Amino acid sequence: SLGFRRCLISVDMRHLERSFQEIKRTLQNKDVFQNVTILSTLQSLQGIKPIDVCCVTRNLLAFYMDKVLKDHQEPNPQIRRQISSIANSFLHTQKTLQQCEQRWCHCSQEATNATSIIQDNYDQLEVRAAAIKSLGELDIFLAWINKNHQETS
Amino acid sequence: MPKPTNITFFSINMKNVLQWNPPEGLHGIELTYTVQYFIYGQKKWLSKSECRQINRTYCDLSTETSDYEHQYYAKVKAIWEANCSEWAETERFYPLLETQIGPPEVALAASEKSISIVLTAPEKWKRNPEDPTVSMQQIYSSLNYNISVYNTKSKRMWSQFVTNHTLVLSWLEPNTLYCVTVESFVPGLPGHTQPSQQCVSTLKDQTSTLKVK
Repeated sequence: SLGFRRCLISVDMRHLERSFQEIKRTLQNKDVFQNVTILSTLQSLQGIKPIDVCCVTRNLLAFYMDKVLKDHQEPNPQIRRQISSIANSFLHTQKTLQQCEQRWCHCSQEATNATSIIQDNYDQLEVRAAAIKSLGELDIFLAWINKNHQETS
Repeated sequence: MPKPTNITFFSINMKNVLQWNPPEGLHGIELTYTVQYFIYGQKKWLSKSECRQINRTYCDLSTETSDYEHQYYAKVKAIWEANCSEWAETERFYPLLETQIGPPEVALAASEKSISIVLTAPEKWKRNPEDPTVSMQQIYSSLNYNISVYNTKSKRMWSQFVTNHTLVLSWLEPNTLYCVTVESFVPGLPGHTQPSQQCVSTLKDQTSTLKVK
């Protein structure tokens, strides 16, 4: 499991990375808008304070679970299987996050802004295009989790 | 005119080289190539002057893709006289997750029954030799090493994963050549490059020579 300073989240990163690696090429090739990114702000979040990591993680998990995965209609059964595997992992992680006391999952204005920029980016695209692009950018989110959460076991 | 084929980034320690194969069916023809690259999320394709109308089938885009937290595309087209092919484009390239980690530097020091190993993490590619050095350890805190030790006398080998940079192998046989192979490894990253290998011999057992006198 990975700990972010005060809250431990349980996430099998290797499993998530493998699942995404299986479908990355197909998802990214379906994304025809190379000049637009959804999670670009994550790259500018490098200076995010440790205290905000929990909040941004929780908000982004909600973004994927409540928006992206709901908006995306996947026709290919193999890809659908990998996406639901990723969704199950995220669901599990959300549950462990919910056990984290509110005071350790504080949202600063900066963290709130960051996730609302991501939401704005999403809303500027047609919904199916936005969903496929967000799925294709899962590697950015996973890399951000890897970087901002310390492996504790 | 057919496009170049197998266009990919070959990346080790963030040295990112675009490479491709000539178009099929045009072997023996004097072709040139032009390369462009694109920063995902930006607005337009960019050119690299050193990779315009070149004969070789590779182009070093390390400088252009040095921000390893961004993602990139690249494309190449073939040119022959007045004809030119369509662009052949790469997949989205994410240096942070796609670079391979080179082997560490390995220093060995042997005594009669032990070998001390000191590892130095590989360095990130840098534009100029005088630029400050960045260790791959700084980028990947979970960097660790797979060490294999081979006893050339007994033909036995054993391996272990280590995260620290120094370790001592004890209870070895004196006067024996041992070969140590080390690979860098970051969980979640693609395979690893050629391991580094070095051999050293443990010293003769001093106690036995004393007995002979």
